[in-house]
Amino acid sequence: MGETVEIQVKIIKIHLVLLLLLCVIALVFFNRPMTWIYGYVFGGLIGVLNFVQLAKTMEKAVTLPMAKAQGYAASRYFIRYTITGVVLIVSLKADYIHALATVIGLVLIKFIILVTHLFDDKEYYKRIFKRKEEN
Amino acid sequence: MEQITGRALILAASAIGAGLAMIAGIGPGIGQGFAAGKGAEGVGRQPEAQADIIRTMLLGAAVAETTGIYALVIALVLLFANPLINLL
Repeated sequence: MGETVEIQVKIIKIHLVLLLLLCVIALVFFNRPMTWIYGYVFGGLIGVLNFVQLAKTMEKAVTLPMAKAQGYAASRYFIRYTITGVVLIVSLKADYIHALATVIGLVLIKFIILVTHLFDDKEYYKRIFKRKEEN
Repeated sequence: MEQITGRALILAASAIGAGLAMIAGIGPGIGQGFAAGKGAEGVGRQPEAQADIIRTMLLGAAVAETTGIYALVIALVLLFANPLINLL
């Protein structure tokens, strides 16, 4: 983990809490809730593993020479992409996993990053409507 | 010549659509590679900023992957759970 351990733990904690919340919502409101819960858990856990793998990739990539770092990061991305593809195929083929829940689980961590690190800053919204000349 | 059925046409168009959607999966890979290369260059130039560089790169790369996942979802739905077949 190294330099990014704090940020990873923070994001993963929020992710797990939200997954739990989504599972409770599925239990209360949806027909056949277990399919949704399986989807959330399956997609969510793979999303977390992908995120941890991404962090490890980035930590290693900055220690490599520039040309090697490019190839290393791109090759690791395609490994993660393949894993995501396998997860999605399994959830589309299996009747007991809801595919939409898997997709939500996979992309949830990205939304958490956006909400906790970009949209939490009021200055961000001000900068959207600010002209470059005013800076 | 045998007549082309609606189902065959939909399947063929879906396969082409899935192939086109997968093009979107290449972009994040190139982008992440480029960002990692520039990150390595930045760390080489300013080693004391390594933690900040990695943190910013990690968050950016994670968000950049999202579009690739969307494209993958579209492609796989077209191939394995095509909703258009049921419209016939």
